[in-house]
Amino acid sequence: MSEQAARKPNDYKSSLKPVWCPGCGDFGVVAALYRALSQLQIPQEKIAVLSGIGCSSRLPGYMATYGFNGVHGRALPVATGLKASRPDLTVIVAAGDGDGVSIGAGHFIHAARRNADVTYVMMDNQIYGLTKGQVAPTTPQGDKTKSTLYGNPDPPVDPCELALAAGATFVARTFSADMKGEVDILCQAITHKGFSIVDIISPCVTFRGDDQYDFWKPKLRALPEGYAPNSRTEALRFCREEGVLTTGILFRDERPGLVEHQEQIRKSAGFNPASPSKAEELVRGFYP
Amino acid sequence: MAVSDLVVGAVGRGGDGVILSGELLMASAASRGLYGYMVQSYGPQIRGGESSFRARFNVEQVSSPGDFLDILAVFDWAAYKMFKQELRPKEGAFVLHDEDNPAPEGEMAPGRIMAAPFAKLSKSSTGGLQAKNVVMLGVLCGFFELDAEGVRAGIKKKFAKKGGEVLDKNLAAFEAGFSYGQANSTGETQKMRLDHVPGPPKLVLSGNEALALGALHAGCRFYAGYPITPSSEILEFMGKNMWKFGGSFIQAEDELASIGMVLGASFGGTKAMTATSGPGFSLMTEMLGLGSMMEIPAVIVDVQRTGPSTGIPTKSEQSDLWQAIFGMHGDAPRVVLAPSDVEDCFHAAVDAFNISEEYQLPVVILSDQLLAQRKVTLPSLPLDKEVVSRRTPAEGDVEGGYKRYKLGSGDGVSPMAVPGDPRGIYQTTGLEHNEKGEPTSSFELHEAMNEKRYKKLKAVAERYRYVRRYGAGEPEVGILAWGSSKGAIKEAVAKANAKGLKVAAFIPELLYPFPKHELEAFLRPLKKIVIIELSYGGQFYKYLKTFLELPEERVLLKKRSGGAFLGVAEVESAIEEAFQ
Repeated sequence: MSEQAARKPNDYKSSLKPVWCPGCGDFGVVAALYRALSQLQIPQEKIAVLSGIGCSSRLPGYMATYGFNGVHGRALPVATGLKASRPDLTVIVAAGDGDGVSIGAGHFIHAARRNADVTYVMMDNQIYGLTKGQVAPTTPQGDKTKSTLYGNPDPPVDPCELALAAGATFVARTFSADMKGEVDILCQAITHKGFSIVDIISPCVTFRGDDQYDFWKPKLRALPEGYAPNSRTEALRFCREEGVLTTGILFRDERPGLVEHQEQIRKSAGFNPASPSKAEELVRGFYP
Repeated sequence: MAVSDLVVGAVGRGGDGVILSGELLMASAASRGLYGYMVQSYGPQIRGGESSFRARFNVEQVSSPGDFLDILAVFDWAAYKMFKQELRPKEGAFVLHDEDNPAPEGEMAPGRIMAAPFAKLSKSSTGGLQAKNVVMLGVLCGFFELDAEGVRAGIKKKFAKKGGEVLDKNLAAFEAGFSYGQANSTGETQKMRLDHVPGPPKLVLSGNEALALGALHAGCRFYAGYPITPSSEILEFMGKNMWKFGGSFIQAEDELASIGMVLGASFGGTKAMTATSGPGFSLMTEMLGLGSMMEIPAVIVDVQRTGPSTGIPTKSEQSDLWQAIFGMHGDAPRVVLAPSDVEDCFHAAVDAFNISEEYQLPVVILSDQLLAQRKVTLPSLPLDKEVVSRRTPAEGDVEGGYKRYKLGSGDGVSPMAVPGDPRGIYQTTGLEHNEKGEPTSSFELHEAMNEKRYKKLKAVAERYRYVRRYGAGEPEVGILAWGSSKGAIKEAVAKANAKGLKVAAFIPELLYPFPKHELEAFLRPLKKIVIIELSYGGQFYKYLKTFLELPEERVLLKKRSGGAFLGVAEVESAIEEAFQ
């Protein structure tokens, strides 16, 4: 931040106007992301924001960074490929709960287990909003939606619980209208080395009802004083609570991830950055 | 007396070491500068099942594994029964078996049956039965005056790591077999000696290896894939070698992820590839559309096997053609290349990267099992082949704001910025977009962007015309085929030409966009057009009809399922039929 003018939150904002409905929780998420990136002063050109499909996945278009709005559920593999080959970039995935734990659940588990140094901002609205109101993998059991007129027969998936089980090294939950908490957690998630997921409850006022903020606010509760986020089993206790939504950093751990492993394997394979192998050398090995 | 062409086969079951003996023969041929061509077959068991090889050797380059065997070694008659169709000895061929294991009644292979003490000599020379295969090689070298020195060198190289006792035992087994063979050879067996002057050593390569080498030569520095027969050797090769080049490798959780990772890496400016087979390719078609829409360079290899579904996963077929060209939602231009021999697998990989980089679109390489898993010897690879990289924005491209999808260029290509470049920040999307990459629902823009994306195909068609042409200059009969079928066709055409028949073959290696004008010129003077393909549904024939008025009365369609490779005799009879 020496001579260059500090990057303000608005410097991370593109000129596009979001397609989201008035009152959508995703406005809070993107605003928090602008602020977090501004706090961290990461140059725009060194950031890539990737997404899948869904209301939330429009987010990369609203960023003044490199962006990639791909196919439903598969932002994480794209992010993994990008991060593996370009460890110098800050890679952020913005996706919804349907994207992450339904169609992309397979990828979610593997990105967590590989500990790819990617921040997964999950905008969790518990409904399919873009397709106008069908049940999501996170919709509470019994809820009526356009595709569950008689009530949702299936219990929901908790993204944090899944991330903890799959080996994510940073797991946090927050609420999209809690700007301060959100910015703080996003900053820590982005600077975390390894796979970080921030499950942000991001109300859908259109398809979950316009009382969503009133519904959630009394349920919010911070992690208890002195909570040490170093145990997966402890963290699990704060998932799936009845009538309560605990926010904060549930778990964090440092262990080598995708990028470090790749560097290590290159070393083991005898890669010399000053003179990388050439196809000619490899071909020689195929003579008898 | 000596021969100029020799086809050797062996069959056995787990523990017989059949595959290793084939590899040693190939290594021996390569060290003497001979041309070799080897295919292997396996039973369905994961381990310890039936296996066989057939290897053909010649002073000249051969393009098929030969229809019939000159020499066959049988370790196990039940295994022989399983591969009977693909291991047919020619009349007067020598069929060797262990003296303790005579052919069961009615299961005798045709030919001159000879018993040899494989097991006995293995036991006496090494104390165990494990070296039966090496004894067999020794016997072959002694009987038929094959190159013993080359096999010895091969054994030394193969067992160098294990060293000491293992190496000594194998050499002892070989010498035991060799002495036996020499002592018992006759004027008849000696006629099998391959007449040649030793030349400089040759490479031993499979199509999968040649393709992976081509990719690395082209600058591929990211590979993601998921195991699937018969493409897995590419995955394993990259997992071993990519690191030394400073690249990245990931075995993905599935094929959806493989191609996603490839697009992610390529978006970041790294040349990237994935390889799969038919069912995996089907999973990739969603992201193939994305790559086409976002105009991201990517190379996707489909090593075809018989289908649909799991089909016969260890055998070739040419029935992924439609999904490679037409497998899409929306209008999703891509380029499809089809190498037709092992060396062309190297070329195809470099060409695929060059085209995908230059025109910013996905390029599919259609290989197949026979091409991918056979091993051949080659003098060298064209390691001086030109390599092209994508166009990034120049100063003029960023003046007044960078437009990732700028319209108006003749070939549809607009410079692609790489993350990290502050001048070229853009957001790409699978939604239809404007020049800047912003989402749009405008019909006019959709039409204009489709035109931009399809212009690239036109440019590729004008610039590249990969066709292999063989045979008579002014043919009366012309054969149209693609992929690994070329091998048998090339050989059958040469034989027919030698008989005075005016026949030629046209083998396109760029399948989409198709070199239409070249094909039309080829077809014009023909009295008969023979189309040969291993697709029961006739995918190639029907594909040709999408852009060509085929004179049906002059067409002879020879299509059948894959599962058994195309034989030279099969092509010869098609040629004869065409001349009737």
